[in-house]
Parts: sequence; C-alpha cells; structure tokens
Amino acid sequence: MAAAALYGAGGAMKGGKLGMEGAVDMQLNRIRITLSSKNVKNLEKVCADLVKGAKAKELRVKGPVRIPTKVLHITTRKSPCGEGTNTWDRFEFRIHKRVIDLISSPEVVKQITSITIEPGVEVEVTIADV
Amino acid sequence: MAGRGAGGGGRKTRNFATFRLFPRAGAADPNDRVFVRVDNNDYNVPGFADEDPFDSNFTADAADLHSFASGPLPEHVRREILELGLPDDGYNYLSHLRELRPAASAASSFVPNSTARPEPLPLDVKAYDASRVRVAPSADDLDEGKTMCKVAAKTAPLRRVQRALDPDVARLLDESDFSHGGSEDEGLEEDFVIMANQAEGDDEVEEEEEELGNGIFSDVEEEKEEEEFEDEPKPRVRRLLDEQFDLLALEEYGDSDDDDDDRGGRDGDYELPSEAIEELKLFCDQNGCVDEDYRTPADFVRGRLESTTADEVDESANVIQKCAEYAERYLNEPAEEKETVLVSESSDESEVWDCETIVSTYSNLDNHPGKIETPGNRRKRLPRVFPGETATTNDLIKLHGKEKLPVDYLPQRKRNGEKEKKVKPAEAFNAEKVKKEVHKETKEEKKARKAAVKEEKREARKAKKELKGLYKSETQKAQKVAAVTGPSSIRLM
Repeated sequence: MAAAALYGAGGAMKGGKLGMEGAVDMQLNRIRITLSSKNVKNLEKVCADLVKGAKAKELRVKGPVRIPTKVLHITTRKSPCGEGTNTWDRFEFRIHKRVIDLISSPEVVKQITSITIEPGVEVEVTIADV
Repeated sequence: MAGRGAGGGGRKTRNFATFRLFPRAGAADPNDRVFVRVDNNDYNVPGFADEDPFDSNFTADAADLHSFASGPLPEHVRREILELGLPDDGYNYLSHLRELRPAASAASSFVPNSTARPEPLPLDVKAYDASRVRVAPSADDLDEGKTMCKVAAKTAPLRRVQRALDPDVARLLDESDFSHGGSEDEGLEEDFVIMANQAEGDDEVEEEEEELGNGIFSDVEEEKEEEEFEDEPKPRVRRLLDEQFDLLALEEYGDSDDDDDDRGGRDGDYELPSEAIEELKLFCDQNGCVDEDYRTPADFVRGRLESTTADEVDESANVIQKCAEYAERYLNEPAEEKETVLVSESSDESEVWDCETIVSTYSNLDNHPGKIETPGNRRKRLPRVFPGETATTNDLIKLHGKEKLPVDYLPQRKRNGEKEKKVKPAEAFNAEKVKKEVHKETKEEKKARKAAVKEEKREARKAKKELKGLYKSETQKAQKVAAVTGPSSIRLM
C-alpha cells in the first residue's frame, strides 16, 4: 500500500533519528489502535486520553481518524400479532469507530492502553513492522 | 501495511499481529484487561506476545501448573486446595477461583445477625449461659475487678439462651426456705378470710400459743411469747418469735436435723437477732429458773406467783376472756336465712307496645292492596274497544301495522308528544300575556321542546330499527306464509 510505504519511510527515518539520539533502543513498530463503541462520549474521552498519553511520551501520533459510524437499523412491527394498523418500530444501533496510529514500541503502547479505558469501549491493537 | 512481497495471485504476506483488549477471566475488576491475539499470522511481537492466549491466569502457580499439566499437582497447590475444602483429586480447582473485589469484601463482611435465634436444642440437652463464669487462676486472688470472665473472653455473645433453670422455679425454690411458717397465709394475702381473721388474729394465735404452752413450754415462757406477740400485732412478721421458738425447740429437743431444715433454710446465716438475745437475757435475769410447777395465767391473776409487770397480768387475764368470746362468736354462727327471690314473669296484659310495628290489621285474605307502578304503562293493557263492535273479543291480541305487531301492548311512546301538544297552546297564551322575559323563555322553551321532540323521534326511529331487526326472522316467516296464502300485494319485509 502506498500509504504503508510512506509510513515505512517515515518510520525508518524516525527510527534512525531516535537511534542517533540514543534515547530508545527498542524496536519501533507501527501500531494501529482501533477503538469502537456504541457510546460516543466515552469513545471520544478514551481517544483524547490515548492521544494525550502518547504525546506525553513523545511518540508520533496520527490523531483520531473518525471512521463513518455504522448504523444498524432494526425495523419491526409494533404489534405482537398481525392485527391492527401496521405500525413499525424503527430501532437503530450506532457503532462509532476511531483509529489512532502510533509509532512506538509495544511495551509503551501496553502501558498507555492499560491506563485509560472506559467501559463499553472496545480496543484493538494491530502491530506491524516499521 | 507491509511491503508488497508476494505475487499477484497469492496473498500479501501479513506481517502484523492484532490484539484485542479483553477483561481478564476471573478477575473482579473490570478494568483488569489483557491483550489477546486475534489473528493467525506468523508475525511475532515480543512485547505483546508474552501471555499465553489460552490461559490468561498469570500467577506463579499457573506457570508451575503448566509444567505439571499431566502429573500430580505441586504440594503447595494441593495444600491450598485442601484448605479451601475442595477435594484433592488431582484437578486444579484454583483456576476457578475468583478474586473478591476490594469494595465487595468490605461490604460483604459478616455482621452478626441480631435477630437470629439459636437452633432449638434437642430435648435431652440443656444449655447454660456460661458467659458470667469466672475462671480465676487460683481461688485466693479473686480480684473482683481484674479477673474477667475468662470463659466468655473470646466468645461472641450468645443471645437468647434458653435457660436450663426455669426462673420461676428457681425463685420458688429460693423463697420456699424463707417462708415455711406462714407460707399459706402469705399466699393468700388478698384473701378476705385471712383479713377478717387477722382482726381477731391476736387472740387466736395467742390461743394457739397457749395450747402449745400447756403442752410443752412453761408458763413463763408462754407469757413471754404472748408478750412478744402483743408487741407485734401482725402474725406474719414474727421473726423474734420464730427465733425464740427455734431456740426453745433446739433446747427441748436438740435435734440437729430439724435445726438444719428450719434454720438453715430460713436465714442465710444462723444467728439470733439481737432482740431475741436480749429478751432471753431479760428472761433469764428476771425469772431465771423454770419451775416444775405448771402455771396458768389465772395463777398470775390470783397473785400466787410473781409477774414481771402488772400489764402482763392484765393482758394475760384478758386473753382468756377474749378467747372465750371469740370462740363463742364463731362457734354459733347463725345460719343465714335464705332469701327467697321472687322472679315475676311478665304477664301478657301488662305488655305494652312501645311503638306500632304493624302497618295494618287487615289480612291479605280479604285485603288486596294495589301495587305501586310507574305511571302510564298500565292503562292500555285492555285492548281498545271500538264503538260499534258487537263482539268485544277481549282475549284476542290484535296485530296492526306492517309488521303485524300487538300495538296495544307495545311500550307507549306517543304519550309525551300528546302532552306537549296540549301544553303548547296554553304556553302560547301565557307568552302573549307576558312580554319580553317570558318571550325569551318561551323561545328557549320552544327550542328545548323542539329538541325534545326531535330526540323522541330519533329514539323512536332507533327503537323501530331495533325492533325490526329483532323481528326480522319473524317477518321472513310471515312473508313466506303470506306469499303462499295471502294476496300477492302484501309486502311485509
């Protein structure tokens, strides 16, 4: 993927820089954190915390990318039997998704994610080579 | 994400690992999460992949257990399992343990149940509350303040111990020792018989004492007792006398068993009250020896023997008299005449009714009172008799109209309408007389009247329709019949 290649280049560069500085010697990975939830408020809070934490550790962070929310519709007849005017209930179920990209070592990420978690927010971490 | 290494047909090499954050299994805290791998790629992440995806229990025991998967469990594990009360069958039950939440443990700590009653004991078991038992190291240093009730030092207070000794029984047992002499009287304190007797009780008891004295004691002794008794009019509280009696009994008979029974029971410590001792001393001083002669109070009166005081002599002299009187009075009780109580039965003539409850004295055999009915319905029960009809067939029900209904017997409806019509011209008359106000009223009344009429008509239509519906089947039958029998022009439906 072109984006990945770009990423790779950027990452390598960064890695080299860091190596020169001698600050970090552990390997860096590209880490993608996917947060999904039904609850926007909690989700946003978790996103903000993660970004804040990552920035505090001076990692490269690609800010929360908001994937379009998926709305699952459930339309059912209101009546338990078939009688009566055909009224329908329209229920919906919204799933919000945010993606945060980091470049850091896995341990750091583990630390960050362990601190800030609200209930109802699902966290998925994908780690790849830099 | 990774570089494109593979060809067009095959899948790109997947050089990534995906982890998901799950709550730790068996953890109390929902925030206790672990990363669990959710993909099957070959990519290894050293940092994240430390945990075994199949077992998230990351204790040292777990680490050991994995090595002992098939063999026997390590000793400390087995011990712990046994401590918990679980069976030692080679299975590691510790993996199923759940941590208690810190908040939950504080909340769920046990509080003694204040309303719980202990289990009812079986019948052959009695429980004693031993919390008050003092267990001293040695009998000598029983310091009241220091030695606590050792038995109950480390026990939880037990409530509602069913007492082995019934308290009432215990009380009775204690009391019975004190009050042997006048126990019967004490029990019947409220008894009027006792109270009545108490008025003359002095003489009676003295009589008793006298009797006793005759048999057993010397005169002087008897005198002494009487004197004592005079001082204390109540026969019940005769402590001094009791003591004297006891002393004498001991002297005369000297039976140790009796002493124990009587005295040991009555008082805690056997010691004569000081008064008794003094009196005895007085007695000893005054009269000293007990002569062999038998002496009666009469002797004192006659002055044969010395007496301690003149009063005594008088009292003792009176005693006999009093006793005699008393005896007389109570021996010859007059029999109560039975009062004849006359119960008069009420005679019939004297009975007077306080209110009339009958409506009339007429009997229904002769009297047929009429029944109150709603007005207007009963008048047309009889069929209309047209003038000119020769044969008045009163028992035939005439059917009129299209539906052939018994018109005479239908519920009346035109009544009100007729009334209204009659009333109308009268009202008009009135309206002409009076001017504006009445005019308005009549207008309103007219409106109301018209509305009423309309309503009536509406009701009539409704009723007609209803009736028609009711009798539809009948009309069908009638039509059939009419179609066959009657002229062809008849249309009933």
